[in-house]
Amino acid sequence: MIPSPFAFYAPARLDEALDLLQQYGDEAKLLAGGHSLLPTMKLRLATPAVLIDLHKIPDLVGITVDERVTIGSMTTWSALEADATLCAAVPVLAATIRLIGDRQVRNRGTLGGALAHADPAADAPALVLVLNGTLTIYGPAGIRTVAAKDFFVDLLTTALAPDEILTAITLDRVGPDEGAAYLKFAHPASRYALVGVAAFLRVEAGQITACRVAVTGAGVRAERLTIVEARLLHQPAQAEVFAAAAQGAADTLEILGDLHASEAYRRAMVEVYTRRALEAAAANLRAS
Amino acid sequence: MIGTSLPRPDATGKVTGAARYPGDLIEPGMLHLKVVFAHRPHARIVRLDTTAAVAYPGVVAVLTAADVPHNAYGLVEPDQPVLCGEVVRFVGDRVALVVATSREAAEVAAGLVEVAYEDLPVLADAALALTPDAPLIHPERGTNLIYHCPIRKGDAEAALATADLVLEGEFSTAWQEHAFLQPEAGIAYVDEDDRVIIHTAGQWLHEDRRQIAEVLGLPEAQVVIRYAAIGGAFGGREDLSVQHLLALAAWKLRQPVAIVWSRGESVMAHHKRHPVTIRCRWGAMRDGRIVAVSATAIGDGGAYASTSQEVIKCVALFLTGCYEVPNIHVDAYAVYTNNLPAGAFRGFGAPQAQFASEVMVTRLAHALGMDPLELRRINLYREGSLEPTQQPLPAGVSVRTCLDTCLTTLATLPALPPPAAPHLKRAWGFACGIKNLGYSFGFPEQATATVELHGAATIAQAIVRIGAADVGQGTHLILRQIAAEALNVTLETVQLIAEDSAEAPNAGSASASRLTMMAGRAVHDAALGALREWQNEERPARITVQYRAPATTPLDAVTTAGRPNYAYGYAAQAVEVEVDIITGQIRIVRIISVHDVGRAINRQQVEGQIEGALAQALGYTLMEHFQMREGRVATPGLSTYLIPTILDTPPEIISVILELADPEGPYGARGMAELPLIPFAPAVADAIYNATGVWLSDLPFTPERVLRALCP
Repeated sequence: MIPSPFAFYAPARLDEALDLLQQYGDEAKLLAGGHSLLPTMKLRLATPAVLIDLHKIPDLVGITVDERVTIGSMTTWSALEADATLCAAVPVLAATIRLIGDRQVRNRGTLGGALAHADPAADAPALVLVLNGTLTIYGPAGIRTVAAKDFFVDLLTTALAPDEILTAITLDRVGPDEGAAYLKFAHPASRYALVGVAAFLRVEAGQITACRVAVTGAGVRAERLTIVEARLLHQPAQAEVFAAAAQGAADTLEILGDLHASEAYRRAMVEVYTRRALEAAAANLRAS
Repeated sequence: MIGTSLPRPDATGKVTGAARYPGDLIEPGMLHLKVVFAHRPHARIVRLDTTAAVAYPGVVAVLTAADVPHNAYGLVEPDQPVLCGEVVRFVGDRVALVVATSREAAEVAAGLVEVAYEDLPVLADAALALTPDAPLIHPERGTNLIYHCPIRKGDAEAALATADLVLEGEFSTAWQEHAFLQPEAGIAYVDEDDRVIIHTAGQWLHEDRRQIAEVLGLPEAQVVIRYAAIGGAFGGREDLSVQHLLALAAWKLRQPVAIVWSRGESVMAHHKRHPVTIRCRWGAMRDGRIVAVSATAIGDGGAYASTSQEVIKCVALFLTGCYEVPNIHVDAYAVYTNNLPAGAFRGFGAPQAQFASEVMVTRLAHALGMDPLELRRINLYREGSLEPTQQPLPAGVSVRTCLDTCLTTLATLPALPPPAAPHLKRAWGFACGIKNLGYSFGFPEQATATVELHGAATIAQAIVRIGAADVGQGTHLILRQIAAEALNVTLETVQLIAEDSAEAPNAGSASASRLTMMAGRAVHDAALGALREWQNEERPARITVQYRAPATTPLDAVTTAGRPNYAYGYAAQAVEVEVDIITGQIRIVRIISVHDVGRAINRQQVEGQIEGALAQALGYTLMEHFQMREGRVATPGLSTYLIPTILDTPPEIISVILELADPEGPYGARGMAELPLIPFAPAVADAIYNATGVWLSDLPFTPERVLRALCP
């Protein structure tokens, strides 16, 4: 179908984008990669009167690898995947990106767009949660930061106010004695996660001294599995420990069922993929 | 010429985009059609107001039931309205047809057709269709029964009572969507001779013509069907879809008209493979002899009859698979519901029935402590075996050879390294298959071809006329190869005229694996006949030959005896699967598919049919979970209804082609294109059992169902 008519702006500066956003308020939508927004517009599930394209704003693109890594929100998956320094600092990022959509999707899609859209089956939210992400947000009151664990609020809903723009995402590096992994049960057609689990571990002298685990695809939003994390802390990094920690991983979650997988099946897969992601993270541990 | 792998002349155009499919025939200035669908499963039309739609700029007409000269059609019985006037019986029922100068105008105006409905009770469960308080889909019939096919042989109850072992089984299968690459499309116009020309894609020129002539109240000679390049069919183009709508609009308005259905319209509006539930009891003796089968099958025929009657007969006939069973008590029912109509789909009832029969045979063997392949050898059809209908099988019973070849082929394969992880369980499974070739149960079976030879001393050109649809299976090359071989000329010498009902005689449908046998035989016989004329110095030499297959009969109403078919195809498969016992995911690792094709006219095309059908079989078995909720389609697109891609097909498919000549087919060829679909699901079920110890009885085997079976 053809979308309903809309005005199109492609500002070259962040300030201009913010002005437009304030001017049009609820009528406006920000355009990043467009893979979610444009199909919903074609189906007329979304009918924004104004589209503000963020592609021409240079400040929103870029990768800085420092103590942590900082990624401009409009940086495409392909650009991330091609950055050798970034991939060396955060190997799990490259591995995850290769699971997102296909080459065409990754050439257009952006990290910021995926996070701001907060599709419950997107891959990136789970990864950003376990990499201790910090989201930089620009709005009328200036710049603020939000921790990833506070960012994903509900189905397609984030901590972003309607007049705010996500500008950058800062992630932890995966350092010595640390390992991370993201695994998913992909829907065969869309490749979206029916269930996806990201895991991060720090293991010192055989003991888990830090860990974060997050799930996506199973419920209305990506979220941390704090009970699993608590079970793992100060335990030996062993398969039996992972299996025990993963047991009932989904018990406290609100899980959704649909045509492709029932609630019960997703619940079972959260457990399976939690265990598998922990094992993979342990296998990915970097030498000290 | 025969037995080589000549390349397909149409292949390049299909790859480069040069081939003209029905949607490519649309020209500027044609009017565009848009169907107003019911979008509700069962309702009375209280009011239909086209005023606003007619007033919309660009709209030329809005046609409704009152505009249809004879408002009923159907392949077997005409129970389907072209446009519904009083009642809609499924979501894809057509209520009005908007004709406009542009596609956009037609689409907008379709939304302006106001229809007020009074909803009626919805019958969505075939199991309830014959209960006394079920809503009647066609009240004038007084029942929701479309057809009941009983088969009685010997005394099944007595034999079950004295059998050493009796096993019960329950099975269910799902709808399957044909998902051909090219959704329904086409054009129609009235030519200078006052004939209405419908240029689309279909499976049988002359049957499309018959039905459309009836709808329009015209003599058949005034209706001309032409086929463009056809982007797959698989039975899904047997029923009329857009052809009669195009014809109606072109004839009423006397202007060229065009239509293209979206994928969503295609999925909702054309028929599907029947979901069938089967309950059965199989009895055997300790020595491995199967002595009795008692079975009941119910097929969901949906809102209209389509070919349900014929499909359910095949279900009944194949509920005992390819095994000679002395005592049979079978009842198969096709019923109306408010679901999508069900009809022809590659295999035509055989895949559903033999999913049950093959699994039951293997289960019997396990219960008897026998090798399932040994039990098969004891009971498999052989030359002279009596069919369930008490007649000897047609000659050429090669299923045992197929099975033995399957095993010897398997023995030559290297064993793979063990699975990568302990939760991956790998095993082989086996099954056999049988399918009738050609029309059954007394339906007249013929194909007619005309061959014309031009030239002086030598044949410069051979024109072969035969109205046989090339739906992508390569029939046109096959027919040219047969003519070239019979005439001893080059392939280039043979020109085929096959895509125009006024220019080519009736070859019957592209269905029932029949065109190579039937159309091929007609072309072969006509070519030899024309050659005799040629040798008698006729210039041009021209002859028309009608080939009639050996007669079949309906089943006797009392004894259920009869000769249902004149030929069968046979197959055997071994399938290696890997089951993830934690997630329930199944990977097909290797497939051996053995087929007796009589003679491979074109080896590459036979292999293409095997590999293509196996992909479709894989989808049917593992992925294609068509779902309806209270008569509404829950899987309307290919993002929700999953068909296999190349990523889902195994890297290794070993096609084994046996050539045990058929007595009737041209050069011994027999049909084969449906066979690969038949043993696959039970072979996978067997492999899953061998890997994990659990049986699955509901198709498709989605990861969720597998996991539920493993962890009940």
